[in-house]
Amino acid sequence: MNPSFKKIKTRAALMTGIRQFFTERHFLEVETPLLSPHLIPESSIENFASSLISPYKGNTPLYLTPSPEIWMKQLLAQGSGDLFQICKSFRNNEQFSPVHNPEFTMLEWYKTGINAEQNIRICEELVSSLVLPETPQSCRPPFREMTMEEAFREFAGFSLEENMDSPSLFWQLEKAGIPAEKEESWEVLFHKLFLTLVEPELPSDRPLVLKDYPSRLATLAADKAGTPWSDRWELYMDGTEIANCYTEETDLEKIRTYYDQEGREKEKQALVSVTASSSWVEGMKNFPSCSGTAVGVDRLIAALLGDKSIQGVILFPLDAILPEAKNS
Amino acid sequence: MGQIKAGSIAKGTFLLEKDIPYIVVEREFVSPGKGSAFARLKLKNLRTGAVLKVTHKTQDIVEEIDVEDVNSQFLYADGESYHFMNADTYDQYEIPMVSMEDMQYFLREGESYKVVRWGDESLDIKLPPKMDLIVTEAEEAVKGDTVQGATKYVKVETGLTVKVPIFIKEGEKIRINVETKEYQERVNS
Repeated sequence: MNPSFKKIKTRAALMTGIRQFFTERHFLEVETPLLSPHLIPESSIENFASSLISPYKGNTPLYLTPSPEIWMKQLLAQGSGDLFQICKSFRNNEQFSPVHNPEFTMLEWYKTGINAEQNIRICEELVSSLVLPETPQSCRPPFREMTMEEAFREFAGFSLEENMDSPSLFWQLEKAGIPAEKEESWEVLFHKLFLTLVEPELPSDRPLVLKDYPSRLATLAADKAGTPWSDRWELYMDGTEIANCYTEETDLEKIRTYYDQEGREKEKQALVSVTASSSWVEGMKNFPSCSGTAVGVDRLIAALLGDKSIQGVILFPLDAILPEAKNS
Repeated sequence: MGQIKAGSIAKGTFLLEKDIPYIVVEREFVSPGKGSAFARLKLKNLRTGAVLKVTHKTQDIVEEIDVEDVNSQFLYADGESYHFMNADTYDQYEIPMVSMEDMQYFLREGESYKVVRWGDESLDIKLPPKMDLIVTEAEEAVKGDTVQGATKYVKVETGLTVKVPIFIKEGEKIRINVETKEYQERVNS
């Protein structure tokens, strides 16, 4: 058999394994729209635009969803209970790299009545249930957990909590010899430090859950009351981000503010402009307290196989079928 | 001096950071969950060989050095510097060996290379991706050794030791991948 088919067979078995894992735990599998007239505006994501051609409805812009988040949240607000979905998601204007494809498979699950911290265990059990004989030690549970504060102390050599304001972050960048401008936004100063000094050094001998991100990073994750942190984590395997988890924000005003701010940000810089639906915030009136996790399935499967690249676990990666695709 | 967006930086781009010339040795684009996209770079200081790690927003403007490739003949290496001569003007160029010691395995005296010049400074030497080199030392293959994929080590004319298939003999020419320093194939001449 063609060796790449062997990986595709393994992939099929893992997909069955994921469905079984959540079905056994009474999560409802759902399929929500991949084509949508509205998207959550996210300033870091560029979208794919298309349009509906209809003699009856007129021509309407439609967008390929970068994640199923908004529709799953609407269902949760309507009382669906625990949900999971495995679907294609689409992100435009990203680099082609061993861990990127513009079209990729995402697993997203929401469990009601728990927080992000408790969701770590579900993710760990999921990965344990999927481990293959060839899975390297670095991708096998148990997970290692580290807070952002611990990671900064260990790898950047200073306390993030004590240097949380922009001037302090700028001073730390100067000290480390990393070029930066004083006027840059807090997010940029933070990311320059995190991406240069911290992320490349994160321990990779076991899967790593990096948790408690600064709440100044605008997301739909809930804050940890009385701390400068929000209740979210990311899972790294072998240095690659595999999953992202929040205790979901339930405060409608905060959600509305986030949509407005990101919408304005997106209008400034995005090539494809999208807006949130005016009915979405209203539709979340009865949104339950819950925690949601999104997993890059292609990356997870590659990690379980001990592969550094997702190219072997997806069929027809885009840069292989694009005639003139360049690695930018 | 050219200005480019950090999003256009590639491996091998020559940059100026705080008036010091660097070459990009690693480049990775990162989009953290939220906010701008970034280019994470590993730079090599072309004067000292020291490595500098920096991260720029892909929208940031950085200074690209306008370099010039000058055809030059390799003269010799003296342990501290590589010495070249401009093929047209006979000007001599000196390039510090520090952090470029491995380049000596691909430089043959009298042969022409491209020296990367910036003003009066020689920053780098451009090597072809593959080079054909003559095997100068090789052990005879052991008779009866028919194991599939058996390998041995040989030395080529520039002093580089390479792992090759067992059938390669002294005096033969082999093609070597310059970046990985690995054997690629035997060259029939």
